[in-house]
Amino acid sequence: MKKLNRTYVMGAVFIALALWVIYQTGMIPEKLVSNEPGPKMFPYISAIGMIVMSVLSIIFDGRKENEEKRAGAAPYLDGAGWKRLALIMVECILFCAAMNWIGFWFTSMIGMLVFIMTLRADKKINLIFAVVLSVALGSLCYFGFTRGFNIPLPKGVIWTMMGIKMP
Amino acid sequence: MASYLTALGILFQPVNFIMMYVCCLVGCVLGAIPGLSGGLGITLILPMTFALNTNLSFAMLLGMYVGGVSGSFIAAVLVGIPGSAASIGTCYDGYPMTQKGKAARALTIGICGSFIGTLVSIIVATLCSTFIADVALLLGPWEYFSLCLMAITMVIGLSNGSVYKGLLAAFLGLWLSTIGADMVTNQLRFTFKNTNLYGGINVVCLLMGTFALQQVATSYAKGNLDMPEVDAGSLKGFGLTVKDFMDNIKTILVSLFIGLWIGFLPGMGSGISNLIAYGQAKKMSKHPEEFGTGVDAGIWATEVANNAGVGGAIIPMIALGIPGDATTVLLMSAMTIHGLQAGPMFIKNNPVLANLIFGAVLVSAILIFVTELLTKRWFPLLLKAPYHYLYSAILMICFLGAYSASTSMFSVYLVLVFGAVGIAMEYFKMPGTPLMLSFILGSKIESYFRMGCSYAKGDMTSFVKRPISLILLLIALYSILGPVITKAIKSQKKAA
Repeated sequence: MKKLNRTYVMGAVFIALALWVIYQTGMIPEKLVSNEPGPKMFPYISAIGMIVMSVLSIIFDGRKENEEKRAGAAPYLDGAGWKRLALIMVECILFCAAMNWIGFWFTSMIGMLVFIMTLRADKKINLIFAVVLSVALGSLCYFGFTRGFNIPLPKGVIWTMMGIKMP
Repeated sequence: MASYLTALGILFQPVNFIMMYVCCLVGCVLGAIPGLSGGLGITLILPMTFALNTNLSFAMLLGMYVGGVSGSFIAAVLVGIPGSAASIGTCYDGYPMTQKGKAARALTIGICGSFIGTLVSIIVATLCSTFIADVALLLGPWEYFSLCLMAITMVIGLSNGSVYKGLLAAFLGLWLSTIGADMVTNQLRFTFKNTNLYGGINVVCLLMGTFALQQVATSYAKGNLDMPEVDAGSLKGFGLTVKDFMDNIKTILVSLFIGLWIGFLPGMGSGISNLIAYGQAKKMSKHPEEFGTGVDAGIWATEVANNAGVGGAIIPMIALGIPGDATTVLLMSAMTIHGLQAGPMFIKNNPVLANLIFGAVLVSAILIFVTELLTKRWFPLLLKAPYHYLYSAILMICFLGAYSASTSMFSVYLVLVFGAVGIAMEYFKMPGTPLMLSFILGSKIESYFRMGCSYAKGDMTSFVKRPISLILLLIALYSILGPVITKAIKSQKKAA
């Protein structure tokens, strides 16, 4: 399979984004204030800037990348690397979703343990220590913020729905 | 002088001194934890100061402020994740130095740089506060616009990699900064009726996503699962010689000036000064290609500049009633809470309190310096913590920090989005710093530009008609075109 030129992909993504920004900017209602460029000017500048820089990058950096490829530059990640990246990102997404549903306290304890198990890769760890650390750190953060700093953290929608009052 | 000595006497009263020291330590720890900052500490103790006397309140608040700025380099040096935006530049050489097994040396430079920056800047602030404020009154939105633009272009021009990709990242940051309610007409831009976006994107989300989450995820994906080794021998002693210091004296002096000046300008704090100082140090170096591999000058520049911003930011706060950075906004809130009004009459009406503010920064800087030097040998123990424990904790604190910044789940989701953006940028070999800098400065650039146009009755040429603004714009232009032209000339010579 022919390898993608990353700069070309980047250029295409940013040109598409810039065109979308231009379209959305056009929909901002104009409220004129005298002697003032208005709220559309900077979004337009940033979009046009993105298009121009994408084109220049495609022309100059794209060519350079092709040369590097011919010289045998290493890929960004191998197959296993992409799988690891996907795994950690999925775990982060689940962590965020769980924060809302079961609250920060439980999520931090469970999530931290899951992160430890993932990030350890092939290394052996003491499971009891990992559990104790996750519970201790999660609880310390939760009660430190909610009680010590008076910053409310998510208590969990599910407990509220079930009528259970969380600390 | 008499009021300064009275202020010092108040600071050295046991309760004031102990509470200030405790706040210094807490600020330092908060500053060291990615996502948290001394500003958070000030926010947290602000309600407590309602019940305290004014002197004790300001001793505590300033201790927290100085501790927060001084501690932010620790995580940048040890794990390559900045404690706050003030230490983004420190990652570039601090972390590579740690990876080379010289963590203690990097820490000592950070400690000394922080101390020198705070010490000199607060002395300048104490001596020249009123005079410097008068100079700033001569600058208008035209000069501020050009200055912000110059700050971005300097960073792009001096950053590694493609200038086009750097500019592309800067335009992306500029667009992100326009999201939310427009400051003049209150028109909503790119909010899609989502109330969480009305106030714009929180900088903590961008920082946590593009730096912390991106770093943890890509390190794991690339299989970089070992923490850098610490040279145990280098943990003992001071770790630096007078020669090391003298070798970098030019960088230190220039960074001091940059930090003081940028800290002094309203709304521009240590998050910007450290990057500009880093760029300038690289430009001044005989071996700019070594930057990013763990050179002393890179750490000196960023740490001196970000801490010099402390004194710089206090000058306009005291003399003009204009906050120099986000944290001084909080300090001004504390003044309001205690029935005080910052501004030209503040020093005249409250000489002891004004000097207590200067004195508290000075004493806090000394306390932090001594404490950090004495405990320095234990900082690298953080690296002894296995990667999977440390990075798991960072991931959790990352989401916690984002949530606590706005008490909204939306901020947490934004961290995920910006984490993905950070990974994509790394994949496309786009530098992250221009994105961050133009995002921080974007709203200011727009605001100053529109103010300038409005004051000049729509005449956009006013930006090039004012001499200081024109000079700054020309420097901005040179920062971008200079390296491109030099490169073209070099390649032509090579071909010939």
